[in-house]
Amino acid sequence: MDGNLNMIGMGLAGTGAAIGIGLVFAAYINGVARQPEAQRILQPIALLGFALAEAVFVLALVFAFVL
Amino acid sequence: MHSLALAAADNEGGFTPPTLEETHLPEILPWMAEWGTGFGKQMLMIVLSIVLIWWFFSAAIRKRALVPSRLQWLAESGYGFVRNTMGRDVIGEKHFMTWVPLLFGIFFFILVNNLFGAIPLLQLPSFSHVGAAYAMAGIVWILWVGVGFQKYGLRYVKLVAVPSGVPKPLLILLVPLEILSNFIIRPVTHSLRLMAVMLAGHVIVMLVGSGAEFLITQQESLAMNATGVLVLLGFIPMYFLELAMMILQAFVFTLLTAVYLQGALEAEAH
Amino acid sequence: MISADVLHAAGEASPLVPNPWEILATGLGFIVLMIVVVKFIVPAFEKTYQQRVEAIEGGLNKAEEAQAEAEAMKARYEQSLADAHAEASRLREEARAEGAQIVAEHKEKAAAEAARITEQAQQQIAAERQQAFASLRQDVGTLATQLAGRIVGEALDDDSRSQRVVDRFLADLDAEQTDQSRTEAAQ
Repeated sequence: MDGNLNMIGMGLAGTGAAIGIGLVFAAYINGVARQPEAQRILQPIALLGFALAEAVFVLALVFAFVL
Repeated sequence: MHSLALAAADNEGGFTPPTLEETHLPEILPWMAEWGTGFGKQMLMIVLSIVLIWWFFSAAIRKRALVPSRLQWLAESGYGFVRNTMGRDVIGEKHFMTWVPLLFGIFFFILVNNLFGAIPLLQLPSFSHVGAAYAMAGIVWILWVGVGFQKYGLRYVKLVAVPSGVPKPLLILLVPLEILSNFIIRPVTHSLRLMAVMLAGHVIVMLVGSGAEFLITQQESLAMNATGVLVLLGFIPMYFLELAMMILQAFVFTLLTAVYLQGALEAEAH
Repeated sequence: MISADVLHAAGEASPLVPNPWEILATGLGFIVLMIVVVKFIVPAFEKTYQQRVEAIEGGLNKAEEAQAEAEAMKARYEQSLADAHAEASRLREEARAEGAQIVAEHKEKAAAEAARITEQAQQQIAAERQQAFASLRQDVGTLATQLAGRIVGEALDDDSRSQRVVDRFLADLDAEQTDQSRTEAAQ
């Protein structure tokens, strides 16, 4: 069995991003549950946070394939 | 069925997993092949998706009935979902009608192309090929950056790069970070998110296909064959998970487009 | 694997390196799709949406008009009902008054009649008494004369005899009267 150590690094980076995304959406759900009328304001912010957290994983993905 | 053509077993009888290169199938027409690949399956599916969307929505809305038929109702609820949930709620009442066609096009283009990955025989999400994802994210990036510059001129760079209410010394650190994250990382993540999820789904399909084929046809022992059947059964929940991911990724891509556009349109408020 | 061979030949194994023809194909495809969407699909949907909104609002207006009309009709109906009630009670009042008047008239008339009858009866009674009185006086005179003659015909000094004469006379008179009434009854 052969492979690339980069992939293990990418997997490890993935856990961090996953935790971050989970936290973002947990906070979002909390906020909407407490104040449903704030959903319109919170939704773009939550998605931007999600995109930012995801960016970490995508960077890991890029470096895993590039390096 | 190309999955059957995968090299499931090497010469020594051991299992070789499919490689990522195998997501690129042989081209159908070797036209222009000397500058890359020719006309391949992925491009055929792009064309197919355009024809499908065109046909479906034209057929659905042809009658323009006030009391819609089932087809028209389906098309209208899809359109209304993009228009209201992604357009009006995110971009805001003032500007959203300008961008509804863009959001509608992006959502259904990506949705149909993703769902191709779940249809047997077609079984290739077009956006698992990174070129397609780059193209879409590039178009969106050009649009929202263009909107920002058109609306605010060169001041837009300052609005994006300099966060308000931050002490001066921190700006040295924050300004390059903001520029990097807004103008470079955003389009990259925008495209690669879509591509990575689609590619992962496709790789699972390939892996299950070749693995089950290897276990059922290339192995002598009955236990191994039974394991192959188990692999196929285990793939069924994965299939539905992938289906959900396909729809979700189309939704997220379109929603992020709307969020980026809204950020550019109202850069001053941020 | 032809494509894999090509990719290997070009040294492109990474999934992050795009195929330029795919970028071009997807970009052009998307632009074609956008032209279709902007030209045909979105206007058609918006138009339908608009038409539906108008239809619904038109329907609402129509419903409002109908409701106003119904309310006016109801008001008219209630008005006429109230009028009818008033009319009916007026008529009833009138009838009652009239009835009372009629009763009073009749009462008066009856009283007058009764008075008249009473008066007539009294007059008749008076006349009869007069008549009876006159005839009685005449009879009493005659009777007294006869009685006196008989008494004178007998001895005037004998008390018992004169008493007998008077008794006999009265008995004769009685018999005469009963005879008379008997003949009257027979007749």
